[in-house]
Amino acid sequence: MENKNDLQIKKFKFKNITDNAGFSSFASAMMAIFFGLVFGFIVMLVASPPNAVAGMKYIILGGLGRLGDVFYFATPILMTGLAVGFAFKMGLFNIGASGQYTMGMFFALYVGFMWDMPDSIHWIVAILSGMVGGMLWGLIPGIFKAFLNVNEVITSIMFNYIGMYLVDMLIKGNGTMYKSTTTRTNYLPLESQIPSLGITGTNVNLGIIFAVLIGVIIYIILQKTTFGYELKATGFNKFASEYAGMKGKTNIILTMAIAGGFAGLGGAFAILAPSGISGSSMTYEPINMIASAGFDGIAVALLGSSHPIGIIFSAIFISYIKRGGTLTSLVGYKPEIIDVVIAVIIYFSAFAAIMNSGLSRIIKSRFKNKELSHIEEDEPETTVKSKDDNTKEEE
Amino acid sequence: MDTIYYLFQNMLPVAISLLLVALGGMFSEIGGIINIALEGIMLFGAFIAALFVYSVQGTDMSPQTILLLGMVVAAISGLIYSLLLSFAAVTMKADQVITGTSLNMLIPAAILLFAKMFFGSDGITTNVNFYIREVHILGKIPVIGKLFFQNTYLTVMIGLVFLVIAVIIFYRTKFGLRLRACGEHPHAADSVGINVHKMRYAGASISGILAGIGGFFYSVGITDGNVNGHTGVAGFGFLALAVMIFGQWKPMRIFFGALFFAFLRTLAYSVSLIPFLSNLGIDQTYYKMLPYFATMIVLAFTSKKSRAPKAEGIPYDKSQR
Amino acid sequence: MDNYIIEMLGITKMFPGIIANDNITLQLKKGEIHALLGENGAGKSTLMSVLFGLYQPEYGEIRKNGEVVNINNPNDANDLGIGMVHQHFKLVEIFTVLENIILGVEPNKAGFLQKSEARKKVVELSEKYGLSVDPDAYVEEITVGMQQRAEILKMLYRDNEILIFDEPTAVLTPQEIREILQIMKGFAKEGKSILFITHKLNEIMEVADRCTVLRKGKYIGTVDIEDTTKEELSKMMVGRDISFKVKKEKSKPKEIVLSVENLTVPSKIHKNNAVKNVSFNIKAGEIVCLAGIDGNGQTELVNALTGLEKASSGTIRLKERDITRDNIRKRSASGMSHIPEDRHKHGLVLEYKLEENLVLQRYWQKEFQKGGFIKFDNVRKYANRLIKEYDIRSGQGPVTIVRSMSGGNQQKAIIAREIDKEHELLIAVQPTRGLDVGAIEYVHNQLIKTRDAGKAVFLVSLELEEVLNVSDRILVIYEGEIVGELDPKETTPEELGLYMSGAKRNTGKEANDGK
Repeated sequence: MENKNDLQIKKFKFKNITDNAGFSSFASAMMAIFFGLVFGFIVMLVASPPNAVAGMKYIILGGLGRLGDVFYFATPILMTGLAVGFAFKMGLFNIGASGQYTMGMFFALYVGFMWDMPDSIHWIVAILSGMVGGMLWGLIPGIFKAFLNVNEVITSIMFNYIGMYLVDMLIKGNGTMYKSTTTRTNYLPLESQIPSLGITGTNVNLGIIFAVLIGVIIYIILQKTTFGYELKATGFNKFASEYAGMKGKTNIILTMAIAGGFAGLGGAFAILAPSGISGSSMTYEPINMIASAGFDGIAVALLGSSHPIGIIFSAIFISYIKRGGTLTSLVGYKPEIIDVVIAVIIYFSAFAAIMNSGLSRIIKSRFKNKELSHIEEDEPETTVKSKDDNTKEEE
Repeated sequence: MDTIYYLFQNMLPVAISLLLVALGGMFSEIGGIINIALEGIMLFGAFIAALFVYSVQGTDMSPQTILLLGMVVAAISGLIYSLLLSFAAVTMKADQVITGTSLNMLIPAAILLFAKMFFGSDGITTNVNFYIREVHILGKIPVIGKLFFQNTYLTVMIGLVFLVIAVIIFYRTKFGLRLRACGEHPHAADSVGINVHKMRYAGASISGILAGIGGFFYSVGITDGNVNGHTGVAGFGFLALAVMIFGQWKPMRIFFGALFFAFLRTLAYSVSLIPFLSNLGIDQTYYKMLPYFATMIVLAFTSKKSRAPKAEGIPYDKSQR
Repeated sequence: MDNYIIEMLGITKMFPGIIANDNITLQLKKGEIHALLGENGAGKSTLMSVLFGLYQPEYGEIRKNGEVVNINNPNDANDLGIGMVHQHFKLVEIFTVLENIILGVEPNKAGFLQKSEARKKVVELSEKYGLSVDPDAYVEEITVGMQQRAEILKMLYRDNEILIFDEPTAVLTPQEIREILQIMKGFAKEGKSILFITHKLNEIMEVADRCTVLRKGKYIGTVDIEDTTKEELSKMMVGRDISFKVKKEKSKPKEIVLSVENLTVPSKIHKNNAVKNVSFNIKAGEIVCLAGIDGNGQTELVNALTGLEKASSGTIRLKERDITRDNIRKRSASGMSHIPEDRHKHGLVLEYKLEENLVLQRYWQKEFQKGGFIKFDNVRKYANRLIKEYDIRSGQGPVTIVRSMSGGNQQKAIIAREIDKEHELLIAVQPTRGLDVGAIEYVHNQLIKTRDAGKAVFLVSLELEEVLNVSDRILVIYEGEIVGELDPKETTPEELGLYMSGAKRNTGKEANDGK
């Protein structure tokens, strides 16, 4: 049938950059970022024309002066990014990272304030309990999905609201945790704060190290283990995974619980952080708002193509432009400009990948058509056949 | 008895808002597009309409005229915003859920940005009173008058009219038949010469119109004219999706679903007025969580056998036949 | 000068990287039945989609009655009187027959549907042509044959003069096939012109006037049926002589490997049981074939055997061990291999590499993993061995993404994986579907090799020829019941057809004793 040599020669010729999966996802991420920034610039132009250029400059370069903060703020969204990206690999859309994040934060706070334990391990236990909180909030949509076939998107959203109301109520009702005069939580005792990295004037702490490590571990799990193999197989084709005897339901629940655990850790890393002013720590204000970290996580995951290492970099990037975004208030804008940019980035990453593959398809087909006339007549037959097979798959 | 009237009168504006948005979701999905952006479209429609109301308030235009014009403004803005979804979902064949999520995120951020810059607040508050104490004559009808024509808004009447129109379009028109074919079996529709892309744009656009109006009605009937980027529409867009699933993508069933959810929500916010419930001493937050819990329970019971349009969420690609 | 109603001249249709139709010419006379013959993937469906306006060709022109016409969409085709019964019916399941028929040409007043006049016309048409269909029945609730009649009515309702039938007999019983062929003849007699796409030579010999043959996207020739033979046609279609018979020794059945007792499986589609109280067994060293028309419970039966679905009652024993309650993994590990019906849906993870797919059933075994970590070296070695032994061809060997492989080689990969895995029983469901003749021969030989190695083979097939040629014993399933057990050497396609359509039945015992 096919002439093997011919095929190989052809493959070599087509081995252009668009063939490389890593490159194409990087290119589409760049494209999405570009569109996002352009849109942000247009918005700034509309809002206040004379300051737009200065504002843009802050967004792009502002983060440089505050790298410590960039890393601090990258920590939680790196974790929520992993929470979303990990579930994506399984074909699940974990839009509930916000609720899981909030739950994790609450669990961490609770342990940090209420439990008595040796100083040296208090912060570690607080972090871990944050993970448990998040896992719990990921577990429930997982169970609903696995056993009752309820779409995880809607469940997760409902649990974002439930988690938010619940946590705000519990915090407000707790005198140790909540300080009604400031309408925020109290400062955490020192021993339940995550050790700072000692860079003065910033909040950066050990959390970012943990987060990056977790990213790397996930990468190994996804690439090298049977669990990763099953997870990805299920994400690509759940029918085939079922046929191969993989335990789809268990894996769905496990994936959602692990993803929730990541988001919960994000909440813990965010709230257990020491703040720049010595002795104080980060605080939380219960005002019935859904945490934005979860949604930022979606952007992070998409920009990083759900690849754990990609997510590490995209989290730092998002955090970086967010820091820059806060500086735009110096020229009359508001930090929300970055949320606008992020939303646009997500919008374009949803189809940037497709644009990209479309682009590479066109390039490839152009090459291939030219060559077709030279290669064996067998070639069209095999490929046409696979198209016919697609028809069958449809029905 | 008065409590029941009170609950019912308060429930209707909530139900109508949910109903319109859920019907919007339905039109989008029976055409094949999952519209998770309802929340964002609602907020966009509400905000633009609020801007309009803000700009005309204080003139001698009558409140009900403003309401009708505001509705048109909201419809148009919803339509325009939904085009972003249609473009991504139909033309670019993008992932519909992710696109919808981004559209949901964009609007609150944009509102906060602009409102903070130009109004110095989180949003915009209008102060036109759309409330109708009693409709002439109709309000005097025993029971029914009290239920439907007292302490109400024009939105309720309009919403019910929309429901009737939706039922007719769904079952009785050529358009409805074709739209449903596109969500169920787009290749079949294509093979008889129906332009699937156009129909899907149409379905999503109707959902944009209805969600825009629903958002405006939400701000009129529920938040007293305040539209802000923080609370937005409090997950109503998502609740509407749940109502739609509960209603199995059928207009009348969606109506009953909307009534059910609206009842729960009204109950949650009226606890202090109902002696029996307020005596229980349960934190009001639990009641606020009630609609979301109810959604979960309802979905748990309906999802196993629910029958979504077969081709929803799948971009239509001619060559992939 | 012949009077052609439709001419397709020099049609070339390309898809990214593929030339599906390469300079093809097809000329249809008025009132004839013109067969379009070719293997799977020869470009028949693409050519018809061009004629029907679903695709636009890169080169070539279409003429009607000598005049060049543009067909940009199905509406244009319809305006020219061209109608098509698609191979996979284009019917909206939640609609009624009537709604499906009028879809696209709805009679309406200001956009409001006027169904009653449409119903009248449909009833008239169905009476005139003897196509009994209830216009108000929902498509999902009627039989495949009725669905096909609905599709035909769709064309007649539109007053089409040129009727395209794309593989109309694929899903029908021999009796139903005869009916549809008669209907086609009737249309031709009335002056309608018919394009009949098929790869079944018997049917062409029976009804067609002329036949155009395609091979691998290219035009081979057009012949008058009167002047040709089946053998000549098949040579044109395949490009070489092929033997219709499968070479194999007589089977030597040994001990029972699979025994099924009183198995009942509920249906997911309707309220009745899909498989009703079925009992049978399969011995080592024999190929037992389950014959039947699509949708008579085959899928559910196989799913219950493999564990994809739960049986509501009955027992399944594999090598005397009760596996009724075992999960899929356990069944697979205790010696059940399964070549699934739909290789894209179940059989492969298309985004995975070939080597990853080759260990899909075994990645968890000691050979391939340690402490949860996959031993990729071993996977590669194993994959290379299978690729060589089973002649799986691909662009980049073990690291080829399976999606980019041809259908035949994808199937080879599945077969390699399932046969090489330790097994006692091989369940093969329509293993030759959509393959070309070369690949079909390969699959059949592998099945026979497996049998000769002393394994039990359970083959589920819809193709009569395959049933009769490959199997050692035939079980016929009809409406979820096994209605007959037949010896392939002593039965005929006609007799098989009677069983398949439920017109005849025997119990397994009688068949054995009686003959």
